[in-house]
Amino acid sequence: MSETLRTDYLLIGFSVSSWFAACALREEDSSGRILAVTEEDRVYSRPLLSYVLGNRSNGMTYFGDVVSENPAEVWWNCAVEKLDGPGKWVELADGRRVAFGKALVATGGVPVFPPIPGAEGGGVFTFTRVDDMERMAAYIDQHDVEDILVLGGGFIGLKTCEALIALNKRITLVELAPRLLINMMDQTGSRYLEKALLKEGVEVVLEDTVERFERKENELCSSVLKSGRSLPHRLAVVAIGVRPNISWLAGSGLQVNRGVLVNAHQETSCPGVFAAGDVAETMNMITGERSVVAVWPEAVAQGKVAGKNMAGKHKTYQGSLPLNAVEVGETAIVSAGLVNPPDNGTYVTIIREERDVYQKLVLKEDRIVGLIFVGDIEKAGIYVHLIRHRIPVDSFREKLLQPDFGIISLPLNFRKHMVEGAGIEV
Amino acid sequence: MKHIKIHEEYCIGCRLCEINCLVKHSHTGKIIKAFKEESPRAFPRIRVEEEGCLSFALQCRHCEDAPCVENCMTGAMRRDKENATVLCDEEKCVGCWMCIMSCPCGVIKREKKTRRIASKCDLCGGVDEPVCVAHCPNEALTYE
Ligand SMILES: Cc1cc2nc3c(=O)[nH]c(=O)nc-3n(C[C@H](O)[C@H](O)[C@H](O)COP(=O)(O)OP(=O)(O)OC[C@H]3O[C@@H](n4cnc5c(N)ncnc54)[C@H](O)[C@@H]3O)c2cc1C
Ligand code: SF4
Ligand code: SF4
Ligand code: SF4
Repeated sequence: MSETLRTDYLLIGFSVSSWFAACALREEDSSGRILAVTEEDRVYSRPLLSYVLGNRSNGMTYFGDVVSENPAEVWWNCAVEKLDGPGKWVELADGRRVAFGKALVATGGVPVFPPIPGAEGGGVFTFTRVDDMERMAAYIDQHDVEDILVLGGGFIGLKTCEALIALNKRITLVELAPRLLINMMDQTGSRYLEKALLKEGVEVVLEDTVERFERKENELCSSVLKSGRSLPHRLAVVAIGVRPNISWLAGSGLQVNRGVLVNAHQETSCPGVFAAGDVAETMNMITGERSVVAVWPEAVAQGKVAGKNMAGKHKTYQGSLPLNAVEVGETAIVSAGLVNPPDNGTYVTIIREERDVYQKLVLKEDRIVGLIFVGDIEKAGIYVHLIRHRIPVDSFREKLLQPDFGIISLPLNFRKHMVEGAGIEV
Repeated sequence: MKHIKIHEEYCIGCRLCEINCLVKHSHTGKIIKAFKEESPRAFPRIRVEEEGCLSFALQCRHCEDAPCVENCMTGAMRRDKENATVLCDEEKCVGCWMCIMSCPCGVIKREKKTRRIASKCDLCGGVDEPVCVAHCPNEALTYE
């Protein structure tokens, strides 16, 4: 066995949650060694990839100050193969061992890829990593791809459509469920989204899936759907979901379910080992159930909490809130929290619908627990704030979703508190 | 670091702040042209909220721990280290609307330029007196 290296803090995977953890660590501990090891050769913003693919960005792939102001020493192209939680060491793919004081598991998610006959041999992609994007862009160029199939109407599938629309491709979006964004959208919202997609030339096929891909002289040429329909396309993107990247944690001593189980301090079942971001299974602040909420803002918040606690501070995570945004053509869509409540009498919905605008709030007792905004999203952040801070809305309930709803609709104390920050008074 | 203070007891709801902010962010910077000729018309980065005889004008609070900055997945939205202003770098912004979802005041708008970007109060680009403050007839907005 080769020599064992040592670090005070080890970050496994180096992306958004690790970076926020590193910054939080450095704020609390000015001298401890912070080492990040990551499988990839660079750091980048995953949500930015679809915009880069669609030429809708300035080409940059990283986020914020992650390159210029990084408190961690990073070992690139350096996968961790094994973790011994109680023993506090990891083994890297090249055989080296690193012992740590505290560690953060931040290995994100991996795309779900079901076995579909014909998928092997090129032309079928998943889209979660920067090299997926680069290979896809190259394939489109080399094969003069015009027709593309996107399998999966979740956020990643829609973001992929958004990018491909910008590249003027003919796109068919196939989704097994009866609506798009199955967990984050309702039937009505989905219809708006389908209309917007159609307007951009995307054909949406619901309640169907790909049974097999077909090849001509080994090149991908079409697919046959479960319904029997055949669709010609030179490229396919499989975007049916991501799941926490935990397979490498077998034998680590960490408790895992769908993701790595953590408490409100982002600490795993193994003291001194933390987890954050898409790999972690946290408490959903709406349902109170454990769930994996794989979105950027939660990766940020969890990374910060993990970093502080790793440095010995006591910081609590408020629970995760699923939320996302997408824009197709001119139609912007956001959703957050619980948007399809069970029909058991506990939930009330408030709806505003006019022309291109559809807004829905889901309330439980006197709190908002979910929202869908289509078309007019400007004030969505106010409602998200009410959800996150569990603000009782009874005293201004009749103003919710009114066009002139605003900070002025909120109780005086709360309103002052909100606009006061940094020495500002109302 | 100066801030725009909002004094709701003095606001008369005249919307001169909105009008002048719009003009300031128009192509021509001229009031008649901005309203009658420019298309698409510029829009104000400030919003007058009204309820009965209560009103106030609200723009970005340039928050200290700004959630819009934290949740921006490009780094376009950032806090200027020198003057503590929260600004959106149009070059980097891709219009993903994570900031809109994160702003508790709802003061970020979608704007369509050569591509979509997030648009909000820029404190008039760092002038001595922002135009909304300068044009308020009743000192309902002050810069101090
Ligand atoms: C195309 C796309 C679009 C998205 N759009 C949005 C959006 O608009 N809004 C939003 O909120 N969220 C979006 N997301 C989700 C968002 O990107 C994630 O929530 C976020 O990146 C999670 O960050 P993370 O730090 O947990 O892990 P990740 O960003 O997944 O990074 C994990 C890191 O760990 C490394 N790693 C993995 N295994 C190992 C190992 N064994 N050893 C060493 N290193 C390892 C990986 O190489 C990677 O660098 C999108 C995701 C994708 C793929
Ligand atoms: S845009 Fe909103 S969140 Fe961002 S600094 Fe301004 S008020 Fe704060
Ligand atoms: S819309 Fe622009 S400023 Fe807002 S979060 Fe996205 S990239 Fe950042
Ligand atoms: S400071 Fe300038 S940009 Fe900001 S609201 Fe006032 S006029 Fe508009």
